[in-house]
Amino acid sequence: MKSYLIIIPAYNEENYIAKVLIDVKKATSYADVLVVSDGSNDNTVEIAKQMGVMILDIPCNIGYGGAVQTGFRFATEYGYDHVITIDGDAQHDPYSARNLIDMMSSEEADVVIGSRFLEGTYKMGIARKIGSWIFSVIARLYTKTRFTDPTSGFQLLNRRVFSYLSNADNYPLDYPDVNIIMALHKMKFKVVESPVKMLEKPGGKSIHSGLAPLFYVVRMFLAILMVLIRKEN
Amino acid sequence: MSINIRILIFIVGLLIFIMILELVRKRKFREELSVIWLIIGVVIILSSFADLIIDPIARKLGIYYPPALVILILSFFLISAILYFSIVVSDLKTKNKELIQKIALMEYKLNQAYKKDEGA
Repeated sequence: MKSYLIIIPAYNEENYIAKVLIDVKKATSYADVLVVSDGSNDNTVEIAKQMGVMILDIPCNIGYGGAVQTGFRFATEYGYDHVITIDGDAQHDPYSARNLIDMMSSEEADVVIGSRFLEGTYKMGIARKIGSWIFSVIARLYTKTRFTDPTSGFQLLNRRVFSYLSNADNYPLDYPDVNIIMALHKMKFKVVESPVKMLEKPGGKSIHSGLAPLFYVVRMFLAILMVLIRKEN
Repeated sequence: MSINIRILIFIVGLLIFIMILELVRKRKFREELSVIWLIIGVVIILSSFADLIIDPIARKLGIYYPPALVILILSFFLISAILYFSIVVSDLKTKNKELIQKIALMEYKLNQAYKKDEGA
């Protein structure tokens, strides 16, 4: 067993998962690889099996956050020291994992978030952009650090953090955002950002569309409020 | 309120009450969750005589149309019921997630154990 675990949450990613796994294996020979299939009903699991990686096959779809948390539980149980999360849709360049690791040791950080914006190669919708901007301002006021890409699924976490997040209520089922960064800051964990290269996703669909962005903004305000008023033990 | 309306409301309330009891008897509705609906049934039954109490109260509160107060009180009970069930769903969702995650982790262990057996 290696000390790094790569967690790849995947929901119906049969088109990308093989490419992701080939790239990840090539780029990160220092790590074990775990695919967490979030109730996929296509061939994601079969393809991952053929690639000879470890697989957690969640029986129904519980959401991105739920899948990642299952990976955290796995890592906690099997005693890994560090976890790297990479999205299963081939939008992250696994060679950039090195940036995260270097940043963690130079900054003595507990969490490093891979940012798509520090190197400026990524676009998103206007509603999402405004929402993101507001949240990043709130997060900056609270943590005194600037986060350009808090929703990034490309992250490096040390054992203290992922074992904390693997507890039932400490991680959301849907999409972790600035609320998690703020919650970790509140717990005195050091969270920093590092640039990562993003690969252009062919025919990719955004996670937020239609009325969802508005709902998401309200939901995130609530989450942030809860971080601020909850008493943690 | 005319006597016909009183009887109608009374019957509706009674029907709801009996229906809930019957569902509980057949074990289609958990006792602890049904209580709030039984209370609503009783409130509806009582509301068939409500004007006797409601009218003076409404007048005191400055409500010109007393039935509005009945609707207000009923809304309060219904909203409480819905809120209660939202909390139950929320709790179930958390427990469900915990179970699903455990199953995925246990399935992994089981597969590993099988593989070891086959190898040995």
